[in-house]
Amino acid sequence: MIQGFLLGLANGTTCLVFCIPVLVPFLLGEGKSVPNNLVTLSKFLGGRLGGYLLFGLLAWATGNFLSGAAGLQIPAYAIAYIGLAILLLTVGLRAPAPPASACVVKSAPAALRRWPALLPFGMGFLAGLKICPPMLLAFTGAANSGSLLGSLLLFLAFFLGTSIYFIPLSFLGAFARLPDLRIVGRFAAVIVALYYLFSGILMFAGGV
Amino acid sequence: MAAIAQVKSRRPSLQLPVWKALLLSLPMLLISSFLWVPNLSGAGDSLALIAGIIALLGINTIFFFMLYTGKTDRYRAVMFIIIAIALPMDFIPWMIKTYGSMMLTDEIVYSGGASFCPLTMPMILIPALVKRVIIFPGELLPTMAHGAFSLMFIIWVAASLSVGMGWCSWVCLYGGWDEFFSRLRRKPLIKNIDRRWIYLPFGMLLAIVVLSAITFTPIYCEWFCPFKIATEFQAPVNLLTSIQVGIFVVLFIGLVVVLPILTRRRVQCGLFCPFGALQSFLNKINIFEVRVDLDKCSECKQCLRTCPTFSLDESSLKSGKTLITCTKCSKCIDGCPKGAAYYHIKGTSLKASPQTARILFVYAGFVLMLIFGGEIVNALYRIFKLITTGSML
Repeated sequence: MIQGFLLGLANGTTCLVFCIPVLVPFLLGEGKSVPNNLVTLSKFLGGRLGGYLLFGLLAWATGNFLSGAAGLQIPAYAIAYIGLAILLLTVGLRAPAPPASACVVKSAPAALRRWPALLPFGMGFLAGLKICPPMLLAFTGAANSGSLLGSLLLFLAFFLGTSIYFIPLSFLGAFARLPDLRIVGRFAAVIVALYYLFSGILMFAGGV
Repeated sequence: MAAIAQVKSRRPSLQLPVWKALLLSLPMLLISSFLWVPNLSGAGDSLALIAGIIALLGINTIFFFMLYTGKTDRYRAVMFIIIAIALPMDFIPWMIKTYGSMMLTDEIVYSGGASFCPLTMPMILIPALVKRVIIFPGELLPTMAHGAFSLMFIIWVAASLSVGMGWCSWVCLYGGWDEFFSRLRRKPLIKNIDRRWIYLPFGMLLAIVVLSAITFTPIYCEWFCPFKIATEFQAPVNLLTSIQVGIFVVLFIGLVVVLPILTRRRVQCGLFCPFGALQSFLNKINIFEVRVDLDKCSECKQCLRTCPTFSLDESSLKSGKTLITCTKCSKCIDGCPKGAAYYHIKGTSLKASPQTARILFVYAGFVLMLIFGGEIVNALYRIFKLITTGSML
């Protein structure tokens, strides 16, 4: 577990860089206050923890069935990329809510009302599924741990170590009160989404 | 007619007397000779010497007329367009001579053979600072591949301190293409452009910076640069590279040719370029700015309609300032019927002489044009070579 935490602490900046394309456009696009962004960030990190634990599970499975898991990885990443792109496109292209929209939101179906709240969680989960170099290191360590609990704990510690670097990101939203920055965030979300969408499709197509 | 004449008579002129313009042009003649003559003497070719002399005389004539007529934008645009056209005229034959094609193979790219470009700067900075890796394996001069980033960084910082966002109308090697096509029609066919599009360059900047940091590749160069097609690009050897080349062609035709013609605006520069977005933040550390004298302004909004980079809006005009994206091209200054728009040095009185600020800024901008515009001599030389030998190589 200590190994996982230290690994996360040492490589947190890299993880941050991997998650920023998803998180920053989202926080800027939402344009909420700092406390609200902390909630959003928590949801995102919760989703990311889910993704990491899934990786812990996968790492344990990989440890046992190394050859079998290899064929599933590429389609899984392709789906994760495309899903991420769709979520980002939702953020980028969704019409911004007008100031007096509370009544509209209240009258919406319950499932739809919950959907925006689930967005950061879903994005965090999909971002957590993305492979980055430190993640591969953690994956190797977890796969070698031999037990499911050991693998999950290593990824939990890895998550804690990397999450420290995410806290300052919540202050980004303070700037997003300005309508200009919200538009910038939306544009960036669409561009990043297009990149991931194309990457996902290419993965499905079997590379280049 | 009488009304127009009355307006014209009221308009303060930035024109200089001939003797004063000549006197102020002399230092530029010395600077240009200092910058360009060493290259000529090394060529050992009479054609190169003739090309150099013609280029030197040409650019100094342009500078003289810029000062004499007071029309900064008119002569800046001429020089800016010449530089943009000269670059591929020299660069593409050089690529063909050196690599046999303007298309780069993987071997050339990985060996650092691609030429370094200032537009890569936003993508390179974060990986260079965090991981100490230069993600664009390019060269600035064939002899100094490894120092290319450092040299380009120093030049970029120096230029940004000198002219700020003025880079985009005085220094950029590519902006002249937009400038050229935006001036082809007398009247725009598309007049109303949603103001939200002016934020796209900032969105593009944010996206390419973070994507480049995670992939450790210059994303803009690989996917979004419209000028790849006018300089060099990865050879389309598979589906991926074919799509990339296709995107370059579409972006060049759409953003640099068609939309500037239809709108009479520099669409690529004003609504797309992420380097311009980065540069606009550096406007804050530059001493020159363009202002509007509200006492003189008649609110005709001529400047709003003609600004090529969408750098003025109703609210900025009311405050007498331009937006941070102002490239200091002087189109609003040249075109203002009341002479209300003017160059200003930050920290000085708003009533200080606009002519002094203009001359100082024009000097800074023109010297940078000379530093980056050395291709003019080479392009002219290649034209002469084409005429005399039938080959530009």
